[in-house]
Amino acid sequence: MQTRDTILHQVRLAVTEGNRLQPAPPLPERGRIGYQGAADAVERFCSELTAAGGHPFVTPDRDAAVQRIRDIMQRHQARKIALGCGGVIEDLDVANRLRGDGVDMTPMDALAAPRFREAMFAADIGISNVAYLIAETGSVVMATAPNEPRSLSLLPPVHIALAHVEQILPDLFDLFDLYSPVADLAKPAAPPPSCLTLITGPSKTGDIELKLVTGVHGPGELHVILIGSQ
Amino acid sequence: MNYAQHEHHDFLGASNQALADPPLQAALTRLTDTLMAGNRKGYAALADSSALRDHAKRIKEHTLAHLDRYLEQLEASVQKLGGRVHWAATADDARRIIVTIAQQAGCQNAVKSKSMTSEEIHLNGALEKAGVRVTETDFGEFIIQLAGERPSHLVAPAVHHTRESVARVLSQHLGQPLPDDPKSLALAGRRVLREEFRRADLGISGVNFAVAETGSIVLITNEGNGRLTTTCPRVHVALMGIEKVIPRMRDLPVFLKLLARGATGQTLSVYTTMITGPKRPGEQDGPDEFHLVILDNGRSRVLATPFRESLQCIRCGACLNACPVYRRIGGHAYGGVYSGPIGSILTPLYDSVTLNPHLPHASSLCGACQAACPVKINIPHMLIGLRALQHQHGQGGHGGRHRGRWESWAYRLWSVVLRRPWLYRLALRGARLALRRWDQDGWLTRLPGPGASWTALRDFPAPAALSFRQRWKKDLE
Repeated sequence: MQTRDTILHQVRLAVTEGNRLQPAPPLPERGRIGYQGAADAVERFCSELTAAGGHPFVTPDRDAAVQRIRDIMQRHQARKIALGCGGVIEDLDVANRLRGDGVDMTPMDALAAPRFREAMFAADIGISNVAYLIAETGSVVMATAPNEPRSLSLLPPVHIALAHVEQILPDLFDLFDLYSPVADLAKPAAPPPSCLTLITGPSKTGDIELKLVTGVHGPGELHVILIGSQ
Repeated sequence: MNYAQHEHHDFLGASNQALADPPLQAALTRLTDTLMAGNRKGYAALADSSALRDHAKRIKEHTLAHLDRYLEQLEASVQKLGGRVHWAATADDARRIIVTIAQQAGCQNAVKSKSMTSEEIHLNGALEKAGVRVTETDFGEFIIQLAGERPSHLVAPAVHHTRESVARVLSQHLGQPLPDDPKSLALAGRRVLREEFRRADLGISGVNFAVAETGSIVLITNEGNGRLTTTCPRVHVALMGIEKVIPRMRDLPVFLKLLARGATGQTLSVYTTMITGPKRPGEQDGPDEFHLVILDNGRSRVLATPFRESLQCIRCGACLNACPVYRRIGGHAYGGVYSGPIGSILTPLYDSVTLNPHLPHASSLCGACQAACPVKINIPHMLIGLRALQHQHGQGGHGGRHRGRWESWAYRLWSVVLRRPWLYRLALRGARLALRRWDQDGWLTRLPGPGASWTALRDFPAPAALSFRQRWKKDLE
């Protein structure tokens, strides 16, 4: 407690010192500066994600979406799939429709703590829902919650994210407004989840001679399957 | 133990060594050219980028002017979420606090995501001494940890390594020879580090931004090691300097839009992770304990000085990439934890103005650093301020070695000559004659006497055959 008060006291003195030279500027309002949202959200999302090294796939057809998952699984000869629950995954009935494919499918809600961890470390592919997508940056936004674990989009070497096009937000500012306590008095903001992650492409490193290598820690492949039309 | 300096080393010697190291020169050119091209492209592609950078700067100014208030708000927000807040006045405090957290929670294996602040407090040694194994998990940091070195760039810590030297270091660690292509090396690193994450019980991270109103901390990585560090172990300790706080959630995207663009030209780094408290009931992963260590370590002292603008730095590395000096001598020559133009300010301020005589002079004051900075920090202005401070401490230019009778007499003579045009013309003619024998293609690379200390470090332009006035007159005729 004593250190805390000493530090804050020193900061207070320093701030007074600083303010004596010039009045402290008020917290500025941004207005529209730097806003990059536009009407072509789906197109923008896909081109930004592609530029970041991810693979977007937009289809209005649910069968085509499931087939896309199957294709990715086959290409990687995946045996163990970690599967999220609820949301688009449930809408598409992914668990039942892929069950016949000879893979070990582990839905998140069926696992207790120690088995959960081992399943996550062992999985070849993680299939998740997303909270939002950002058109400006081509990012998918993961919000941690029960049955929406952090590991699902992190530990398996391939990540498939499923979403509806309606979940796309035009700009980063739109996302953080949703979590701002005073964003809209009529519609109180949700408290931020314990972990909110924006994923923009596959895991990357350039630490050796600036040569880009993907998949050094996180997934080396990111697929985003969007249900809806362009 | 001090803030930023590992050793008061020989800046000039280290710089010369770097200049004579062709692989390092090639690596520095490649790195800084690529990142600077990204920086320019990144800003150009962003709507209102200059106005947004001004806005970011105003947020930082405001926050620093009310820093006490925002730190208290941050503390309250973190505690409300069930996180614990620790205050560290010095590097020593911070080391003791983190070691105690590890011991009380019975942690034995720590994984770290890249944190310059943890470099600043020399954390790894303290943890190892207390019996806690520490593994750096950023791939570049992992390499230099194995090699027993320190980072040479803010965002590319292992830039001074080649694929061959990385292969050597990793092969030795694994006890098996590895091919030297980047892909195999990085994937070998992934396998080793994945096992470290599996067994780790303590995750240590830095903090890119801390949001006062929600108690959230933000971590930004391209590899995903920041996410693993805050997902797998049961205890998470985040270490931040007091200047990392920002007021509101809606201020965060302003910085997110600028940080990656300034650093590499990416629209956003691959992973931006915002952590708000420990794991919540019903969640399957994430740490049970969340600790936030708030470090002063000299920052409040700097806040009281005209150098407070340096506290606006968001550690993107853009000023390093832009700097013609850094681009040639690299990070290690600066001797401190922080290198490049911003390091030339931080190291003297936090360590000692007089014991780091060369750093404020390791700049041509060209202003490229300020032009590249996402928050437009006026670095040249502060470098001049530090030179003035050195002067007040009785140090002249270049470490006080050459200032003295020679230099003051030279300046006195200079002012006498400059005030008399006829004398100036005469002096110029005399200089041209006198210096002719050292002229090499218009440059003086080696001068005798007191001139030698100038030409030891840089070339001097030889006086032109005709002065400007002579040419003017001649061309008019």
